[in-house]
Amino acid sequence: MKAAKIPVYLDHASTTPVDSRVAARMAEILNSETEFGNPASASHHYGDVAHALVEQARCQVAAAVGAAPNEVVWTSGATEANNLSLFGAAQYYRERGRHIVTSRTEHKAVLDPCRELERRGWQVTYLVPDGEGLLDPDQVAAALRQDTVLVSIMHVNNEIGVVQNIGALGAICARHGGAWLHVDAAQSVGKCPIDFAGLGVDLMSLSGHKVYGPKGVGALLVAQRKDGSRSARAQLAPLLFGGGQERGLRAGTLATHQVVGMGLAFELASSISSTETVRVAQPQRRLWQGLASIGGVLRNGSVSHSVPHVLNVSFEGVEGESLLAAVRPYLAVSAGSACNSALAEPSYVLRALGRSERLSESSLRFGLGRTTTTSDIDTAVAVLSREVGRLRDIAGARSGKVPDAVAGA
Amino acid sequence: MNYSELTRRYFESPTGVGELSGAGVFRGAAGNREQGTWVQFDLQCKSGTLLAARFLAFACPHTIAVSAWLAEQSVGKAVTRTLPESVQDLRDRFDVPVDKMGRLLIIEDAWLAAAVPAIDYRG
Repeated sequence: MKAAKIPVYLDHASTTPVDSRVAARMAEILNSETEFGNPASASHHYGDVAHALVEQARCQVAAAVGAAPNEVVWTSGATEANNLSLFGAAQYYRERGRHIVTSRTEHKAVLDPCRELERRGWQVTYLVPDGEGLLDPDQVAAALRQDTVLVSIMHVNNEIGVVQNIGALGAICARHGGAWLHVDAAQSVGKCPIDFAGLGVDLMSLSGHKVYGPKGVGALLVAQRKDGSRSARAQLAPLLFGGGQERGLRAGTLATHQVVGMGLAFELASSISSTETVRVAQPQRRLWQGLASIGGVLRNGSVSHSVPHVLNVSFEGVEGESLLAAVRPYLAVSAGSACNSALAEPSYVLRALGRSERLSESSLRFGLGRTTTTSDIDTAVAVLSREVGRLRDIAGARSGKVPDAVAGA
Repeated sequence: MNYSELTRRYFESPTGVGELSGAGVFRGAAGNREQGTWVQFDLQCKSGTLLAARFLAFACPHTIAVSAWLAEQSVGKAVTRTLPESVQDLRDRFDVPVDKMGRLLIIEDAWLAAAVPAIDYRG
């Protein structure tokens, strides 16, 4: 089989193509003679126009996730939103407590700030999920201390698609009274329903480019409850200073076209979310059935508590870097190892689930999305069937002759 | 990771994959699948000359490519106590990152484990 000119894109969990309607609207603003103003310029018409656009987008994002518009704080993306939550809460509540609870399967945009906070004197409890990637809410309850100021648990895991029981965590944190709940929901919008108000979440990170919107824009939801469920809303110390935008939480001139793009992307995602999730489930089933027929393929993460947009599997009897190199000309997928150096590191998420180093390295994440077709799935299955077989032949591990040292969890 | 054209060619279409059996076949292996790199060579020799070579490798593309190249290029040459081409020369030829030098040493160990006992074999 010759390599396709353009590999099949199955990495929607990494990023999504910008919806053409979103791109068109953004281009309009970039080319406009009336919509280029600084949204913070309250002294003239151009500023008013840009401000109105930003506020409309704020309403669109809020409506898509069950939040109030005044709870939306624009950021450069989910990474900044995560950093603002962690460092902002840690700094603001440093006199009350210096303990944070998170899990070992969080995104690096949560884990790295936690490690930095540890270096600065905070204590962090890293919860270990079960073999399917699920946290028991009782684990969180047991980890809370009097000096806990923040719990940070993601909604949909970016590597395995597992969905955590955020509602239960919200109730636990509310009972504790002093621990705010931050949720990284970068992977959630458009994949499963989000009810920010109903979940009892205090802080929620969102991303534009995971939802067919532009890169470089995201948001942090900061709960402004009036129902008395908390004595006060979560307070954050800002990371950036210089203008007081976003109620002083995030200084800097807003990029109107980016914000508008994210707003429209969220509105579109919200309108098709349920039907899209049902649609994606079919090619995901087809993909899993096709891969399972290869033999020696293990599915990673919970099947019953996951979104259909992500499928993560490990291939027995093949080396991880070779697997990725073999499929790379044909498929755009993510590897279970971080190939940011010559020597790849196995996925820490899969290692936390108890997978062996070898099986963690020989895993692939398939991210399905709006553009995924049955033909894409069939191509992926054909490529993997051929290349896994070839690599197993080279490794002397064909026909079930998978060496014991390589097989197993 | 980017690979050189030579590395990609020998990784994608390696010749000499498999095992040999019979008279004059010497087998050597090194590395550990559990550690991520394992290489095995089967060398068929007679009167100090390599008649055929096969390899198996649970390894990265560089290791597979170098192993395949050695198995292909060494046939007809004298069997000696060294690799047919030095580790450094192999590294240069295949543009192997310095972090992976250890994997070339595993190839060397596997090759010599098969080659050294074969040197004095006369059939």
